[in-house]
Amino acid sequence: MSTPRKIAILVGSARKPHSTSESLAEYLASNLSLRGAEPQVFRVAESARDSSLDILTAVDQADALMIVTPLYMDSLPYLLTATLEQIAQRRNATAAGRRGLACLVHCGFPEALHNEIAIAICRQFAKEAGFEWLGGLSLGGGAVIAGKPLAELGGVLRNVRRSLALTADALAAGQPLPDAAVKLMAKPLINRWVYTLIGNFGWKHMARKLGARRKLNDQPYRRTDDNA
Amino acid sequence: MKAIVLNGATTDNDALEVAHRIFVDDLTARAWQVAPFILRRTEIGYCHGDFGCWVRTPGVCVFKDAAADAAMTFIRSDLAILLTPITFGGYSSELKKALDRMICLISPFFMKLKGEIHHVKRYEQYPRIVAVGTLPEPDAEAEAIFRELVRRNAANMHAPASAVTVILNHEPAEPIRAKLRGALEAAGVQV
Repeated sequence: MSTPRKIAILVGSARKPHSTSESLAEYLASNLSLRGAEPQVFRVAESARDSSLDILTAVDQADALMIVTPLYMDSLPYLLTATLEQIAQRRNATAAGRRGLACLVHCGFPEALHNEIAIAICRQFAKEAGFEWLGGLSLGGGAVIAGKPLAELGGVLRNVRRSLALTADALAAGQPLPDAAVKLMAKPLINRWVYTLIGNFGWKHMARKLGARRKLNDQPYRRTDDNA
Repeated sequence: MKAIVLNGATTDNDALEVAHRIFVDDLTARAWQVAPFILRRTEIGYCHGDFGCWVRTPGVCVFKDAAADAAMTFIRSDLAILLTPITFGGYSSELKKALDRMICLISPFFMKLKGEIHHVKRYEQYPRIVAVGTLPEPDAEAEAIFRELVRRNAANMHAPASAVTVILNHEPAEPIRAKLRGALEAAGVQV
């Protein structure tokens, strides 16, 4: 019987207590466990607060690294970027063995295409840090998940769950992510017009609850004659 | 005219230091007010992704540190200069920590722009963006990713124009100066 593959899942979100990245990572981890692999989920935000969480050692010991992250300003969040810089520096210094690397990037825009640059950055990281590139998944409309467990979200998430199941098959077997997983993940969750309508309503609703509804369009740093 | 320089060097970087000095000296000599931020020496925490700057205190991050000064200076500038070692095709972590905190400058509301959904402007006016990336040696893939990242960032930050130039570490000052001037011209900045 072969040794179970160790998969380190790195959550790039800084959100707490529960982020969309974490929901996706946990669903993937449970699917990996079902397939006999050994997933371990790490959160860069926790690592930033607790230096005893040794992500770098875990990555060294894993057979593959899976990055699950939100899109921040068209690319990877700061904490994740800093972690990847450390991983690359360590791997270059130690000539670490070849491991697989895959990623899942999600964004709050309804279209998955916004994530393409972030996925390209992960691919370039793989090249520079000596990982074997296994592929990238791109999800638009991540606000639909909003940190809830995927199993509770019904039919709207069926393509996401199917994609993650195929991803778990591939990672557990040490294979690249199949095209079907990539295509399923990139399918729109809901109609784009409906998503933006609900999204715009949602911002107003949240601001109203926090007493800031009338301030939503404020310009606190606006140029004036005094500061121009 | 005003310019902000966001210097994302993670360590001492000869080419970025040369570029930083050229920008500050040349623009100052032409009566620009230049506000440089050496980000590795600036206390800026990470974006917590809580959207507080959109729905709790709209336009201002709820965490108080130097990011507020950087964001205010950015939006009041005519030109934003981004300096970074190209890191896996993207920005360095030092530049990224500052840029992540700039989402307070746009509105949470969605709009359609050139067939894609983007966020609505919060302000009438945004700075032009010139980005300078350094590489230890030519890398066409990293450079292509970097150029596309800056293009998309400029679109999402509603920059009226943007330009990118890539310089090599240890490149002499004069070729760097020529590239920077070309980038400023490409972004429509008269120097």
